[in-house]
Amino acid sequence: MFSKGINYKVPRNLLFIFEMIALFLMFMYYKNSLDRSTIIYGLSLIFIVYISNFLLLKITTGDNYIFLIVTMLSSIGIIMIYRINPQQGFKQIVWIGLGIVLFFATYFMIKKIKSLKSWFIYYFFASIALFGMTLLLGERFKGAINWISIGGITFQPTEVIKILTIFLIASYYANYDKFKEKKWGNYYLVGIMYLFIFFLFLQRDLGSVLIFSSLFLALQYIYHEDRKLVLLNFAVLILSSILGYIIFPHVRIRFEIWINPWEHIDTTGYQITQSLFAIAEGGFFGTGLGLGHPDFIPEVSKDFIFSAICEEMGILTGIGIIMLFLILVYRGFKISINQKNKFFRIVALGISILFGIQSFIIFGGVVKMIPLTGITIPFVSYGGSSMLSSFIALGILQVASEELDIEEV
Amino acid sequence: MEKEIKRIITVLVGICALFVSLVVYLTYFQVFKASDIKANSYNKRLWINEEKILRGSIIDRNGRILAYSEKDGDTYNRIYNYGNLYSHIIGYSYRDYGKANLELHYNNVLLNISESSALNELRNLVEPNSEGNTLVLTIDHHLQEYSRNLLKGKKGAIVAMNPATGEIYAMVSLPDFNPSTLREDWVNIVEDENSPLLNRVTSGLYQPGSTFKVVTTAALLENNILLNQYECTGSTIIDGYELKDYAGKGHGNINLEKALIYSCNPYFAESSLQLGIDRFSEVAERFMLNKEIDFDLPVKKSFFPKRSVGKTDIAAASIGQGKVLVTPLNMALIASGIANKGDIVKPVLVKEIISKNGKIIDTFEVEVISRAVDIFTANELKNMMVYSVNIGTGKNAKINNVRVAGKTGTAENPSGKDHAWFIGFAPAEDPQVAVAVLLEEEGSTGGSSAAPIARNIILEALRTINN
Repeated sequence: MFSKGINYKVPRNLLFIFEMIALFLMFMYYKNSLDRSTIIYGLSLIFIVYISNFLLLKITTGDNYIFLIVTMLSSIGIIMIYRINPQQGFKQIVWIGLGIVLFFATYFMIKKIKSLKSWFIYYFFASIALFGMTLLLGERFKGAINWISIGGITFQPTEVIKILTIFLIASYYANYDKFKEKKWGNYYLVGIMYLFIFFLFLQRDLGSVLIFSSLFLALQYIYHEDRKLVLLNFAVLILSSILGYIIFPHVRIRFEIWINPWEHIDTTGYQITQSLFAIAEGGFFGTGLGLGHPDFIPEVSKDFIFSAICEEMGILTGIGIIMLFLILVYRGFKISINQKNKFFRIVALGISILFGIQSFIIFGGVVKMIPLTGITIPFVSYGGSSMLSSFIALGILQVASEELDIEEV
Repeated sequence: MEKEIKRIITVLVGICALFVSLVVYLTYFQVFKASDIKANSYNKRLWINEEKILRGSIIDRNGRILAYSEKDGDTYNRIYNYGNLYSHIIGYSYRDYGKANLELHYNNVLLNISESSALNELRNLVEPNSEGNTLVLTIDHHLQEYSRNLLKGKKGAIVAMNPATGEIYAMVSLPDFNPSTLREDWVNIVEDENSPLLNRVTSGLYQPGSTFKVVTTAALLENNILLNQYECTGSTIIDGYELKDYAGKGHGNINLEKALIYSCNPYFAESSLQLGIDRFSEVAERFMLNKEIDFDLPVKKSFFPKRSVGKTDIAAASIGQGKVLVTPLNMALIASGIANKGDIVKPVLVKEIISKNGKIIDTFEVEVISRAVDIFTANELKNMMVYSVNIGTGKNAKINNVRVAGKTGTAENPSGKDHAWFIGFAPAEDPQVAVAVLLEEEGSTGGSSAAPIARNIILEALRTINN
């Protein structure tokens, strides 16, 4: 066995080598403040990732690349977060570990439940309840209300609602024939989606407004039979965004910052200009881990982790991350096309679109290609809610990649 | 099902397009925008490195310290020894107001940091960088001070340089400002309508007036267009426009040499029409008009009209009026070119760069940037310019026992009073110094106001500068 050595052609092993080198670099960087628990946590994470990838290969009959891609993304994220702030890095290790556990739990659970498709009404009420909770108990943070705190644990209900919404849309279109027969049945989903978007707007969570709108539009484009309605929706969403620009100052400010952040460099444009400095400073190859100053960017480990990665690892790594997301989305779509069960086909699509759109919005935002809205990069940014919900979504996608023995009714 | 898959693929293609555009944008950003953005003074990365390094001194050609840095607690203070005198050469370096002139363009040299930050980090491991390099200027402090005193109270520009090597001995632009008290004066400086921040030598564009006739003469000599029996009546009509001499009275029967000596407008106007714009502009461009001039500070491009020009435009250009616009530095280069056997050399402000250990790590090299005219034409021009000073319009530039070559100019200024010009060099047989003097909106002739200033500068330069 030992004579065979490590097979470098197995991606799992390449990931392992990458992580070991990065971990070593990090330990060198923090060699003065290193304690034993950090080393143990770091090594155990690498071990968990390796074992999980190995186990998944044995367990699943479906896709065995998406989990690998995601663990690669998380590894890059954790290295950067740990370099910026070791305490946060420490917590992030726990979140990733928990995320992987939740991934497997979701995987086994979703496989067992057979009636997911017919719970349309539950998805709806659960979402409404979460929205209500956010508005009642939510704490305003940077202008948006999207955090609630229960018994000392804070979380973002929107992260859960995202998954619920995908289930909602999937169960609607999976039962489309039944809904069509009802009076107004054609408009159920449209109404619900506008309600959701309205709630998000009330929370002033513009990033989520964008994510939900695109998710909804994309799935409606694929599945809705009334094509005029699709077109109309498209027009309405564009019109309302123009209206929002005119009416609401906080929307207008985002646009103004986007057009010329240098004018507001001391105030509202501070974050984005700091982000641009970081990316510009990195060049193609980056300054090297620990040699840049990503800590100049406020909120760097959450919304601006991409800028930090670009500064210290170069935009080539940045492009690498974009490509990883591209492959993830591509695998997701492939899973969807191969899935015979319509409900899971739509769920797989929804999750892939979610990953794609969410990462695009924040990548585009921090490089000033599109207006900036503060959201996290799935699997990469620091934060529990985002990490856990993303791993749950991945677990569902993993189920959807297998041949399911659910009867098509 | 078929339709569904088609639409799914459409959405996939859409998302892929978004990601690809992201990659393209990021690359575009890095290639075209990044360097400008990095240099923004709000980028704290610039300062974090700088504040640990003792910024190098700036000294004149004789070793006199013009600017240096001094430790003050944890930070370094920049001291400018001569206030206003070097505002347009050295400029300033402040955390809150940014940098200008040599402080800006030689920032990395003064801090001894290289372009690549990774390389810096590596080097810092071996030998921590604590002290920058010293800049040795080609400026002669005495001549610089002397020249500024001559210009005091006026608006304008002076350049004095070595025509053979391109070394700038003095470069004055007034009004100027005091870099030492920039913080207190900032609002006044920015709001002053005379724009004290503008370096008139390199960035001011003016009509050259009759000084430009040396370029016209060069073109006429080269193309052998010599009106030998021209009868000057003091004015001529071109395309319905009357073009007059400065005094308005005729010069009588003259040839090209006399036309230049007495600065006869009708002569040049008439003969330039025979020359034509193509041949004319070709020579003008060899004298660096319409050309980028590579210098230690950014230089505006001088302008010579080439497209959509009528007869009146050509006639106006021949006497340095109309659309022709030049920088005083360009005029000094024109004089230098004629002095230097027809070759224009690259102007230089930084003579040497010396490391903190006293080692010379870079020395400027003489570089011919344009062969303006051949040696015969240059000699003929030189002789005409000597006559112009001895018996013509430039008499006020005459020096006993030294043959001065020069040309005066009085440029009509559409937006105010006339500009007074003088360009020249001396000694004619072995030129040591070339000058250009511009008095902006002076309202008198170049012969009466600019020529005496040029004379004094030439005399002082010949007296004090030894190479």
